[in-house]
Amino acid sequence: MFKTRSVLTYSLILVVGFLTICPVAMLFFGSFSKGLGAFGVFTLDKYVRAYTDPALARIIVNTAIFVFGSASVATFLALFLAYLNNRTDIPGKFMFKVISIIPMMIPHVLFSVSWVLLLNPTNGLLNLIFKQIPLLQDFSLNIYSLWGMILVEGLLDLPIAYLIIAPAMASFDVALEESSRVSGASTWRTLFRVTLPVLRPAILAAFILGIVRSLASFAVPSVIGMPGRVQVLATHIYQMISTGFAPDYGKAAAVGMSVLATSVTLIFLYRYLTSESEKFVTISSRGYRPTVVELKKARYPLFAVVALLSVILIVLPVLVLFYTSLVPYSMVPSARAFSMISWKHWADVLSDPVSLLSLKNSVFLGVVGASLGVSLSLLVAYVIVKVRTKAAGILDSLSFLSFSFPGIVIGVGFMWFFVRTPLYATIWALLIGYIATYLPYGIRPLASAFVQVHSHLEESSQVCGAGTFTTLRRIVIPLLVPGLVSGWILMATMFVRELTLSVVLSRPGTEVLAVQILRFAEDGLWGRLSALGIIMIFISTTLVILATLVGARFKPVEGGG
Amino acid sequence: MKKFLLLLMASLLSSSAFAQDASLAEQAKAEGRATFYANITAIEPIMEAFSAATGVKGEYTRISTAKFVATVLTEFEAGKLMADVVQAPLPVLEMLRERGVLADYSSPAAAGYEEWTRKQGGIQLFGIEYVGLIYNKELVQAADVPKRYEDLADPKWKDKIVMANPASHATTISWLIGLKENVFASEDEWRDFLKGLAANNPMFVASFGPTPAPVESGEKLIAISMPKYIITKAPAPLDWARVEQPLLGTPRAIAITSKAPHPNAARLFVDYWLSSEAMTMLARDVGEYVLHPGIFPPIEDMDTARVLPIRELTDEEIQKWGEEFQKIFKVS
Repeated sequence: MFKTRSVLTYSLILVVGFLTICPVAMLFFGSFSKGLGAFGVFTLDKYVRAYTDPALARIIVNTAIFVFGSASVATFLALFLAYLNNRTDIPGKFMFKVISIIPMMIPHVLFSVSWVLLLNPTNGLLNLIFKQIPLLQDFSLNIYSLWGMILVEGLLDLPIAYLIIAPAMASFDVALEESSRVSGASTWRTLFRVTLPVLRPAILAAFILGIVRSLASFAVPSVIGMPGRVQVLATHIYQMISTGFAPDYGKAAAVGMSVLATSVTLIFLYRYLTSESEKFVTISSRGYRPTVVELKKARYPLFAVVALLSVILIVLPVLVLFYTSLVPYSMVPSARAFSMISWKHWADVLSDPVSLLSLKNSVFLGVVGASLGVSLSLLVAYVIVKVRTKAAGILDSLSFLSFSFPGIVIGVGFMWFFVRTPLYATIWALLIGYIATYLPYGIRPLASAFVQVHSHLEESSQVCGAGTFTTLRRIVIPLLVPGLVSGWILMATMFVRELTLSVVLSRPGTEVLAVQILRFAEDGLWGRLSALGIIMIFISTTLVILATLVGARFKPVEGGG
Repeated sequence: MKKFLLLLMASLLSSSAFAQDASLAEQAKAEGRATFYANITAIEPIMEAFSAATGVKGEYTRISTAKFVATVLTEFEAGKLMADVVQAPLPVLEMLRERGVLADYSSPAAAGYEEWTRKQGGIQLFGIEYVGLIYNKELVQAADVPKRYEDLADPKWKDKIVMANPASHATTISWLIGLKENVFASEDEWRDFLKGLAANNPMFVASFGPTPAPVESGEKLIAISMPKYIITKAPAPLDWARVEQPLLGTPRAIAITSKAPHPNAARLFVDYWLSSEAMTMLARDVGEYVLHPGIFPPIEDMDTARVLPIRELTDEEIQKWGEEFQKIFKVS
């Protein structure tokens, strides 16, 4: 058995390492090379220039506040929603899936622009409404600020956090809570002393993934941070490569290396904090059925909170998007605006052959990419959680390499790599690049689900004579369905709206949705952009529903997806 | 009737005003397609018209200016450059020329263009990415519209201006330097203008793309932006300020590549691109300022406007000024 496991571990290290090291290595060489390419005469000059910039200290402080803030917002909301959804008798549970997944499907640029339309200090819709309310006349919110960035980025990262925490919450061993209550603890005490500590791996995973993601995020810093003159690392790197006509990606990569180092450190920290994984096992061979906490009087007030949350967080931005797709240009809603509504932008988009081709390609990449990605993630998560050797730790860190590199730069790393292979300019380059970069989206939910499956189950299976793979297939996988569904959804919706790699790698014939959307954005065509954005949301919704239905067939218990 | 037939023939002839060299057209057709790397809005109809006129498929790959040099050089050095024809701001093509990426081709279609549009080594200028002051004509009174660039420094525009980030957006940086060299009498006057503009606390966005939307919606009233949006964003209430000074912009250039996979199709494409037919579409549908004599974008008064190219700036200059503007505009 050990042999099978280490063969599996090392072959996965090879595969994952190949996928993620190649582009990062290219950038690494580029950051030490003279000139603009990946290879050149050795120089430290790029590091010296990048790190002696006097503005850097302030940028790092801003970045730290931004990433910790948004990861906290995302994790807290996810925990709140996952708990209510999985563990209580709150009404309207379908809403939770919608709330927590929709931000995953909206292109981040569009989501940010919607919030600008709602909360800009001059004529943001919500601010205009505040002006009409007595006592609130002088109250106005300015989205162009650090807190605005934290709010929007936190919402955008909410799905990741939710899809990691929810499966863990769903497969929670209720016996632990019952023991706590039998011993006389109140519901609150049980929540804080038992439930949350047991969920620590999932919560930490969500938080760390949120940090890593917001470190690499560009849409929010650019659409909200730049007008507010709040500079973070992502916009700093953007400034480096946009000032001038021959941008030095090597120098940008030099800055990216410290982002990478931070992320890798966080991942080691996470492994250390969850190293005694036995503590967190919750599904052992005993009865496994999460029970429901009765909210009693709090039922409807909590429901109202969730409903309000979903209106503010989801319904408003999506409505703004829909509205933008119908009016001829950017207008504040008014009788005149409504009189000018038409389907013109929709007709333009649907009659554009490139948009239609990009639709087809994105669906292909979403479905095939997520399926392949989740299969690979399943094996990797198994090794990371169940093997836990040094090699498994290496595998864990490897899986984060290209994910934690700032988006604008990693695309160039992939280009430098793929141009040396026959895959360049094909849809397979996109497919491989996507899986390599977003592997943590598949691994994290699966790993946090694996953590909770006790090895007694596997051992029993092996005692009965089953091999590693049979045990995986017959025992472990069925228990992992919520994690599988979460991983598939995260990957599929990510691939459908992927931009950072696509913008560098897509060529005629391999156009994808997000690149088409970016073109509309570059030309300021918000109407068409919104129409295509809604089509994108529709595709993602369909994929999410399909995945949830397939998941439900395998497992009648309420899952996390 | 005869007259009508003559007219019809004349219009048929003029509709294919772009003259084809028969053997070039044949060879190009055999090659099948021409791949065009560029960063220019909404030119798909021109690609289609090219295919219809020549039987050669025109393929457009849009690559943003920030990734242009990186992409083309990476492909070129790996021997995999797919572009037959490249279009970009002049400094970008100059850089590519120095590295041997471009071929020397002077298109017969450029014969009517002014002498200064023909650059060294087969680079042909065909347009100017012109920058202007775009305002919301429903919210700005006619009397308030700036008549000179200096008017933007008037405190009445405080918190009402949107512009691309002058610390990082190369075209805006070049434009500000262009003002210093072509418009203002002295550097001191220019610096006073910059200080006044900075004091009006303009809102910064990443590039020109996001500048018109806040003006349309009334979030801001005026933008340092491109007049072409008046065409592409119609019926939005946008108009341009007819300043008495000239408009400025970076020249747009086109060239064929030295190792073009389809060399004849590449030539045929450039010939077509520079023809009055394609340039008319570019001006009419996309609002571009083109250098083909006698063709203007259908924006009121643009046919009489003075539009000047900004001199070529090196990346060092752009970065140096970017840092300077970062201080003047207090971009943190």
